[in-house]
Formats: sequence, structure tokens, C-alpha cells
Amino acid sequence: MKKALAILLSLMLLIGLVPAAVADSGTLTTYYSGEVSTLNYLVSSTENDQVVGANIVDTLVEYNTLGEVIPCLAETWESSEDGLTWTFHLRKGVKWYNCFGEEVAELTAADFVAGLKYVLTAKYESAIASNVFTAQIVNAEAYYNGEVTDFDQVGVKAVDDYTLQYNLANPVPYFVSMTTYGSFMPVYGPLAEEQGANLGVDNQSIYYCGAYILETFEPQSERLYVKNQNYWDADNVFIEKIDQLYNAEAATLSPIAALRGEVDYADLDNDILDDWRTNHPELITQARSNLQYSYFYCFDFAPQYEEEYDPANWVIAVNNSNFRHSIMSAMDRLYGMTAEADNPENLLENTITPPAFASVNGKDFTALPAFANIDQYFYNTEKALEYKAKAVKELTAAGATFPVKLVLTYKSNDSDWANEVQLEKAQLESVLGTDYIEVILYAGPADNFLSQTRRAGKYSMQKCNWGADYADPETWTDPFAENIDSETGLHKGNSYNFIDKMLDTDNEETKAFLTAYYAKVAEAKAETNDIEKRYNLFAEAEAMLIENAIVIPFRKSIAGYQVTKIDVYEGEYAPFGICNLKYKFQHLQDEFVTAEQNEQSYQKWLEAKTK
Amino acid sequence: MLKYLIKRFARSLLTLFFILVIVFVLVRQMPIEGYFPNFEKMTQAQIDNGLHQMGLDQPMTVQLAEFFKGLLHGDLGVSRVYNRGKPVWDILKTKIPISIQLGSLSILFSMIVGLPMGIHMAKRKGKLPDHLGTAFIVLIQAVPAAVYYLFIQLYGTELMQIKLRFDPGDWRSWILPVLSLSLGNIAYYAMWIRRYMVDESTKDYIMLARIKGCGEGRIMFRHIFRNAFVPMAQYLPTSFLNTVIGSIYIESLWSIKGMGGLLVDVIHKQDNNMILGIVLLFACVGIIGLMLGDLLMVLFDPRISFARKGGD
Repeated sequence: MKKALAILLSLMLLIGLVPAAVADSGTLTTYYSGEVSTLNYLVSSTENDQVVGANIVDTLVEYNTLGEVIPCLAETWESSEDGLTWTFHLRKGVKWYNCFGEEVAELTAADFVAGLKYVLTAKYESAIASNVFTAQIVNAEAYYNGEVTDFDQVGVKAVDDYTLQYNLANPVPYFVSMTTYGSFMPVYGPLAEEQGANLGVDNQSIYYCGAYILETFEPQSERLYVKNQNYWDADNVFIEKIDQLYNAEAATLSPIAALRGEVDYADLDNDILDDWRTNHPELITQARSNLQYSYFYCFDFAPQYEEEYDPANWVIAVNNSNFRHSIMSAMDRLYGMTAEADNPENLLENTITPPAFASVNGKDFTALPAFANIDQYFYNTEKALEYKAKAVKELTAAGATFPVKLVLTYKSNDSDWANEVQLEKAQLESVLGTDYIEVILYAGPADNFLSQTRRAGKYSMQKCNWGADYADPETWTDPFAENIDSETGLHKGNSYNFIDKMLDTDNEETKAFLTAYYAKVAEAKAETNDIEKRYNLFAEAEAMLIENAIVIPFRKSIAGYQVTKIDVYEGEYAPFGICNLKYKFQHLQDEFVTAEQNEQSYQKWLEAKTK
Repeated sequence: MLKYLIKRFARSLLTLFFILVIVFVLVRQMPIEGYFPNFEKMTQAQIDNGLHQMGLDQPMTVQLAEFFKGLLHGDLGVSRVYNRGKPVWDILKTKIPISIQLGSLSILFSMIVGLPMGIHMAKRKGKLPDHLGTAFIVLIQAVPAAVYYLFIQLYGTELMQIKLRFDPGDWRSWILPVLSLSLGNIAYYAMWIRRYMVDESTKDYIMLARIKGCGEGRIMFRHIFRNAFVPMAQYLPTSFLNTVIGSIYIESLWSIKGMGGLLVDVIHKQDNNMILGIVLLFACVGIIGLMLGDLLMVLFDPRISFARKGGD
């Protein structure tokens, strides 16, 4: 129905029934359909909620538009030689304000300690407490789990009002990047004590030290942000007001409201994009590429689906390197991607870590020597047939039957994904033949999709994704980490491909690979002094997953199309944390950004970033 | 009658109890992943802690007992996802009046237009007004409501020079949502009152009234309309209360802060307390609607009585 309505709207646009108008300047007006659950930035993990936190409270550091760390609430910082102590020197004179803009108190180091204490207090159920565990702050996890009851034993300390110190159990080279998460944000201690679980229930039960004050918060109606005139960096806040108006059908109505001059921003879904290209091509701009997520295909090594799909036969097949390579080489990733993007070449990834995510000594992580010959493992039909011939021989000897049933899973309410798997099925079966594989498309439920498919092991092959948690390539190894049952000592299986379960079997080939892979990851993690060496080791580990066709890299996040009065290339840029959700640094234009302007800004940004 | 009402009320309470128990048990069968947006990156201790805070680690009977204990004290609990930390009743109480206002206006408008339209169609059966009315009814029932809702919103706001979003402070803003919400009911009332009136007008007592020389107006309103209205009367309270519950699509399209779509929303979010609070409200509305319908039938039709009939 939504698709039909979108097309209907497009037809209306086509016959030009909607006049354009000019919006008020100084106020960025948008529609939104997803309401925030809470204003409490210390507990929420959803982007919807974090947008609020990012704009009303600052972090210790932030990122500039090129993705470089810049001072924010901390003016300077340093780590001890052993990398176990991080000290942040706070900016003086930063104040807390209430929602009426009245000054409450000065922000001090104690507010960061109060924030961390709140996050680690189990009864407040912070969904982002795990970020603190990842940062390896001394006794953080033990305090959360109740094993340590005295918060003074947790590795955070206000040395004085303007000096904050974190003590880590192990060196964490990427620690600074982790402080851009909500779990490291400050909170005015007395308020947190007073409000307890009610902190952030409304705009009066939270204090503000960021670029904006949330003057109005009426769920399912309006969120009005007003510039904090006393903000320490007010000169870099250019949008005076941000008025977000609720509309459950925002995706459908925003484009038309934009043309009427009622809103200053609208996403353009694929359904209406063609009509916009015909009627308003000059207004279509593209969002900035988002490095937060990477998409890749995983093979399930411990399938749990129904017997009719013959999971036992799949297990034999997937443990064969030539079989996996035959699928990987037969897969034309660009062809499948055309179902959801019109510029697949720009999205394609040959690594799990997205390009431009991390670099060392001026060299991008994905250009490190380990990845030098990685291209040879991708789409090549001749090689695919060679692998097939070898796999048939080996698998027949191992007792497998053909065609091997391959359950390819997708989300039932995602039409683009449904189209993508259709293309992939047709393509894989045409290259490899239906005598070799039978691709079975399996539609997972719209709600709780992952728990019913990937995490339940109900797939043979599935497109998965992972989001970076910190500025280090280690973050991209997390999905494939060993998951061991503490009671039995056996592997429960990571929820991405369950490959670690093979360590408890007699499958020597896969076991040998896993032993080498986990050893490489451990070696990389242990290297905390020589960053170049560390990155090279992580690159080697990642290359092992690809060279052995355990994981098939696919694409980065799709940068959607939009009509907007904001130049997206002015905003903060970071593939983790909440900084990229800030409106700071961005200007509001009187007219919509044109496609030409958008392209110019992109080129300018790219040029600056390359320098 | 009082005895009947007491018995009916007691049965309703029992029904309500079973509805709540069934829904309570069902929502607890949902995957635990749905309770945690950050499930992928949470530790087992975090997940266990979350389940403990929600009481989901308790046996079902204990959870049920806690729920009914709270309910008896008027405590529906707090929302966990929809508006984290806010009491369920505080959320619902701001939404119900808006839906009541919108629903009342819509029902009133539907009756003012739909009933005379049906009567007129019945009086002019087979003539132009009847054909026009039938065409309207067919159109409304055949075209998906979402399509004409959208047309009314886009062209109506254009014509009236008002914004796409509903503004409760601007009386003009009420017109189009009320009209949209009413169209289906107008068609429904017109169709059924016409049908009942046409059926009644062929009955013997009407012929007798005509033979006796009663005027057409008197026959139409004192006899035909009154009898034709009886089956409608039973439906009216439920229709009113259903409209009050809210229209999912109208309220979504116009950003009206009512009840429309709320239940679906909180089910998606697995906000258990909100689900149970709304189910309780809707079940009460349904039960009260049925009871009021029965009462209205008695008021309109003297042949119907709650008193037990004695045998000879």
C-alpha cells in the first residue's frame, strides 16, 4: 500500500499540482515518523534517540567534517606510556542549562564520573554499557554485574574539577574514539541522583550543555531545538532552530511537503525517485557516504533449518573450500546490487572493513599489503566452474549429494532485498547449474528478523552487516569472535556464521583454518604499541576470511537521495559514535541545495580529505 | 432489567479477565531480541538484567499475579519503549480525548448526512437520488480508503490553503480529517437505513396504515424509520466507540495525537505494559459498546425486554 501511495504522490507531482514555496530561514523544519523513546542519552542505543543526545550534550572530543578528532569538552588529552591511563583536561566555563535556558551549574569532571556511574548501574538498564566494557575500563563490567559494589574501584576519577582520568585494564589504542558514545557523556550528578530512572522522560528532566536546548518535547507532535546562545562554541552553530514535526507517514508526505515549502528536508525513496528525476532533477542530492556499516555475505556452518532443505548435506558442502569458492567466484555482486542501488560500482567493497574507515601512515587500511591480491577471489565464471569441478569430486567422495540446497534468506517486507536475492538466485544457478546448487529463497519475518533467521542459524547464506564501534580495524573482527559456553567450555557459535562451532568437531580443514585465524586476531589485538604492525596483522586476519571464502564482502551503506536545504558535507564525519548526528557546523540555505552544489561540495570535501 | 445488567456486567468482567490473561501470556512469547534494540552488542549479563528488570525471569503465574495486583491498584505500569519511564495511563490519557473529539464529530457528521441520505434514497427508490446515493456508496466501498484519504488531504489542504499537518488550534484543520473519517460511516448508515426502510415498507402493517389513511410522512417516520432504525441502534454505540478508538490511517496521515495506530506501534516495539493497557482499554470499549447497544434496542423497540418471559 505504501508503495502505491508513493507512486500516487509521484503522479500528482508529475501533473504539477503542487506549487513550490520558500520556507522560513533560520529554522530547519522537518517531518519525522519515528518518535524517540527517551531523552536519556546514557541508556539509549537507537539512532533516533541518540540524535537528541548528540545535539543537546557534548562529548569529550568530536570530529570535524573530514573525520579528524578535534577538542570538544576536553581541550587536551594524553595517555600514559603504558597506555593504561587516559587523562582529559576539560574546558573551563562550560555550563549546564535547563530547558528554559536558565543556567544550572558549571560542568566539571565529576559530571563525567556521574555519567559513567549511571551507565554502569544495572537497574537503569543502559543498552550502551557494553561500550564501556569494550573500552576496558577497570572494574566497569564487574561493577555492572554486581561483583564490585564500590564505584570508587571503577577506573574513572575526577582528579580535580577540570581533570578527568580513566584507568584501563589493558591498553586500548582507540580509546579516544570511544568517548564519542553516549555512554561516556556527562550528566549533572545531582540531577541524575534526583531523577534516577526518570532521567530524560521529558525535556525538563534533563540538563543541556550542547549546541541546542530542547525547548519543546511533545511526543508524537513536535521537538523544537533552540540554539544554546551560551554554548561554548556558539560561533559554529549556524541553524537557530530545528523544528521536527511528527507525521507517521513522513516518508510519503515529506517530499510533497518540501515542494510546498512546509519542510526543508525530505528523503526520496526509490519508489518516487524516477518521477523526481523527471520533474525536479535539480533538487535531488545524495547523502554523504556513511561508513558506519559494512555488508557482507556469510555462510552458515551450523544450519538449524528444516530437514526438507537438507542441512546435513549443506554442512558437508560448506566445509569444502572449493565449494565456497565456487559460490564466491560465481557471484556477480554488482548485478545483485542493482536491485537496491543505481550506483553499485560506488558501493562495492572487496573487504569487510570499508575503505576510508582507518588508515596508518597515510595508507588506507584496505590498501595494506594483505589485500593486494584480494581481487582474484571475486566474480570470475571460469574460475567458478573450475572450483565447481573440484568441489563435485571432493564432495562426492565426502558423501554429499547434488544439487546442494542453499537457503538464501531475506526480509519479507524489504522489497529491494527480495529483488536482490531473486537476481542472485538466477545468477548463481545460471553460472553453476541447477545440477550443482539449488538456491531456495527464504523470506524471514518483518519483526525480529535476525532472531528468526541469522541468530537462529536458519540460513545457508545471508547478507549480514556490522557497524563499527570504535576507530580501529579490530571492530570488524568482532562478529566472528569465538563464543564459548562458560559452563561446558564448548563453542556456542558466533551469531554470524557459527563457524567457531567447527572447533568442537573433527573437521580438520576448517579447524586448521580457525586455529590460524584466531591466532592472528589474538596477535593483532595484543599489538598495542606499533599501530602499523597492528593494522597489518588485522588486515592479514581479515584477508584470511576472504581468501578462504568464509565471508564474501559486499557493499558499504547506501547513501540515500534527498531534497535538503543543508549541505551534508559541512557536518561532522565519523563512522562510530554520535558526532555525525550533530547539526553543529551546518548552515541552512534559503533554497534547496541543487544537485550541482551537492556534487561540488562532494568534490571539495573529497579533495580536502585526500590531502 | 437491573438483574440482567448485573449478570451481563459480571460476564463482561470475566471476559475481560480472560482477554487480559491471553494477551498477557501471548506477549510474553515474543522473542527476547525485540526487547533490546542493541541486542547484538549487549552482553549476556545486560540481557539477563533487562529481563530481570521487566520481571520476565519470573514464572508466568508470578508475573500474572503482579500484573493484576497492579491493575487492582489502578497501576498499569510504565512504558518501556514507547515513552520510556512514563506511566502507561499518563500516555493514554492525553490521547483518548483527542480521539474522542475526532470520533464524536465524525459520528455526528455521519449521522447528520448518512441517515437523511438513506431515508431519501428509500423514499425515492429506483429514482435518480437512489441511483446517485448507490453510486456514492459503491464508490466509497470499492475504492481503498487510504487512496481517498490521501486525495482529500492533498487537494483539500491545497484548496483550503492549510498545512498538511493537523493543527488542533485551527478549526479549519478539523474539517478534512473529520470528513475523511466520516465518509465510510456515511455510506454505511445510508446503505443500511435504506435497506431496512425498503424492507419495512413492504410489510403488512405498513399497507394497513396506508389503507387506514395515515399520511406518508407519518408512515415513513413513525413506523418505517423507527422500525428500520432498531438494528442500526444496536450497532451505534460500538460504531461510536470504535471511531473513538481512532483511525489508524487518518491519525497517521494528519499527525493527530490520538489512539490511532498506537496498539500496532507498541506491539512492534514489544512494549508489554503499553500493549496490555491499550488492550484493556479496547476490551472495555467493546464490552461497553455491546451493552449500550442492547440498551438502545430496548429503548427503540418496545417488543424487546430484558425481563424473563413466563410460560403459560
